[in-house]
Amino acid sequence: MTAIVETRDLTRRYGSNLALDHLNLTIPEGAIFGFIGPNGAGKTTTMRILTTLLAPSAGEARVAGVSVVSDPRTVRRLVGFMPDFFGVYDNMKSWEYLDFFGRAYGIPAQRRQQLIGELLELVDLGHKRDDLVMSLSRGMKQRLSLARAMMHDPQLLILDEPASGLDPRARIELRELLKELRALGKTIMISSHILTELAEMCTHIGIIERGKLLAAGEVQQILRSMRPHRIVEIRIVSGAAHAEAMLRTHPDVLELRREGARDTKENESEPLDDATGPHTLLADFAGDEHALSELLAALVTAGVRISHFAEQSGDLEDIFLHVTTGIV
Amino acid sequence: MPELNPILIRDLRSRMRGARAYILLTIYLTILAGVSLLLYVAIAGSVGSDLNAGREIGRALFFTIATVALIEVCLITPVLTSGSIAGEKERQTYDLLIASLLTPWQIVWGKLASALAFALLLILAVVPVMSLAFLFGGVGLTEVLIAIVGLVATAILYAAIGLFWSALMQSSLGATSFAIGTVIVILLGIPFLIVIVTLILEPSALSRLLESLWFIYISRLFISLHPFIALGTTASQLSSGESPFFEVVRTGTANVVVLSPWLLYAILSLIATVILVASSVRHIHPVQPESARRRRARSQDRQDVLGERVSKR
Ligand SMILES: Nc1ncnc2c1ncn2[C@@H]1O[C@H](COP(=O)(O)OP(=O)(O)O)[C@@H](O)[C@H]1O
Ligand SMILES: [Mg+2]
Repeated sequence: MTAIVETRDLTRRYGSNLALDHLNLTIPEGAIFGFIGPNGAGKTTTMRILTTLLAPSAGEARVAGVSVVSDPRTVRRLVGFMPDFFGVYDNMKSWEYLDFFGRAYGIPAQRRQQLIGELLELVDLGHKRDDLVMSLSRGMKQRLSLARAMMHDPQLLILDEPASGLDPRARIELRELLKELRALGKTIMISSHILTELAEMCTHIGIIERGKLLAAGEVQQILRSMRPHRIVEIRIVSGAAHAEAMLRTHPDVLELRREGARDTKENESEPLDDATGPHTLLADFAGDEHALSELLAALVTAGVRISHFAEQSGDLEDIFLHVTTGIV
Repeated sequence: MPELNPILIRDLRSRMRGARAYILLTIYLTILAGVSLLLYVAIAGSVGSDLNAGREIGRALFFTIATVALIEVCLITPVLTSGSIAGEKERQTYDLLIASLLTPWQIVWGKLASALAFALLLILAVVPVMSLAFLFGGVGLTEVLIAIVGLVATAILYAAIGLFWSALMQSSLGATSFAIGTVIVILLGIPFLIVIVTLILEPSALSRLLESLWFIYISRLFISLHPFIALGTTASQLSSGESPFFEVVRTGTANVVVLSPWLLYAILSLIATVILVASSVRHIHPVQPESARRRRARSQDRQDVLGERVSKR
């Protein structure tokens, strides 16, 4: 796959504030790229540079091989942008809104008429054609905005936090819509500060924090690479103190935590008391499947009563928390 | 067939859909008609019914209407444009325009043209009332034509003033305040300076100055910056039988020919408009090409900061 977005040491300063710090980002053609990071991480800044709205302080950014700095006009033709706000015009109907931007992109009158109809159908607003834009609901405005970004048939759609502020239903509709767009052959770059919003719909993700790219690549690959070992959750009805001692000395257990310990500030050096109810331990386990079954057998043989023994399903959220170590 | 400017079409569409345009037009015409009627009543009683009465009524009516229309144009046109580009920034549609294939020039021209279309409508609405004065006699076609040229030149220049502030500022309120401020500085500042100059100069110095060539040129240029003084001077020159295009100033040594103030005013307005529009275009900021960007890196940075703050609201 060829790269549709490529940045090389992309850097942007606001005064002394370094918003983007030597960002090297690659988005392959046809991907749905989730750009994830906490507020203030630099997502909007990156997107504004890619849409030619902001000049980089240093480094390079290319869309389909075209530099955003030396040939912004060509880049504008290639990119459809949906900012994290919706600009409303008074006294304007949905179709006029699209018509205006169609004209702004120099689309001939006949093609424009046809496109407006098609796009309004695509975003499920066919029945709102003659309604004033102001009167549409937030979700509808969002979809109209998406149709607007599609007016000039761009190869790359850049959507800045499209899901924020949408109710769950509108969010699902948006997700379906993005799938349709992908089927149309568009590459989509979509940002969010909430990982779960994006998790299921992306093929690729990039995690950004404080202007630095912490991880990027295919979702599955990231899942693997970020988690070389598994976390085993063990719920113990009795014999917890003994189990803990056994686990701590086990060569494959890299780290052992008591669940909730971080919240309760429990003293880890005090032995667990079975009387205070069943305890749950979390073990970072480096061994393979066999080693894991042997560990369970050893615990049971030692008389530890276990009600739950399972590998935690590693999801993006953990990785996100793991990678962005709460600096922001 | 090339298509019309997209901004022009959109602005006209929404301006004509809203009630504001009609309310503004109604107020404007009501003031004009009201003043004319009051004047007619006042004059008709005092001039009696001799042969010249009609001519006097006609002249008074014409000059009153022209003055009121000029005041209205001076105040309305800058407001028509001052909200235009700053308004896009406020509604957060500015970025969408910049990110589109519209050029800065297209954006500026579309905004100016849509305001001028409405301003021309206001001026056209005066023409029938002026022709009424024409029917009474006492006013020539020259005077009517010059008045219309003066109104149109004023509309264009003052719209460009509003546009300039609109491109510069981040809020319509700020842009409108600065635009009205500029108009007030022009309309009141110039007469004020004239009064000051005549007050501080001693009579002997003044009469010596009046003989010097550069003073003649500079003073004509200066009064031609002011629509009311320029057009008023022209009117009095016309009634004393001078040519509508130039004026002959007699000094002790020679006769100096200068352009009529209204013509000078129209030319100066045009030049100022070109400058204002050009600097408005320069303030519509897309990404600058690398070389130009480095040169402007510092000021650009500051502008981006301002721009982003607004779009974050
Ligand atoms: N116009 C601006 N002026 C100064 N600092 C800015 C401006 N825009 C963004 N920043 C700073 O740049 C950093 C990245 O911001 P942004 O790209 O908006 O983050 P995100 O979209 O990921 O929330 C933040 O620290 C923010 O405060
Ligand atoms: Mg953002």
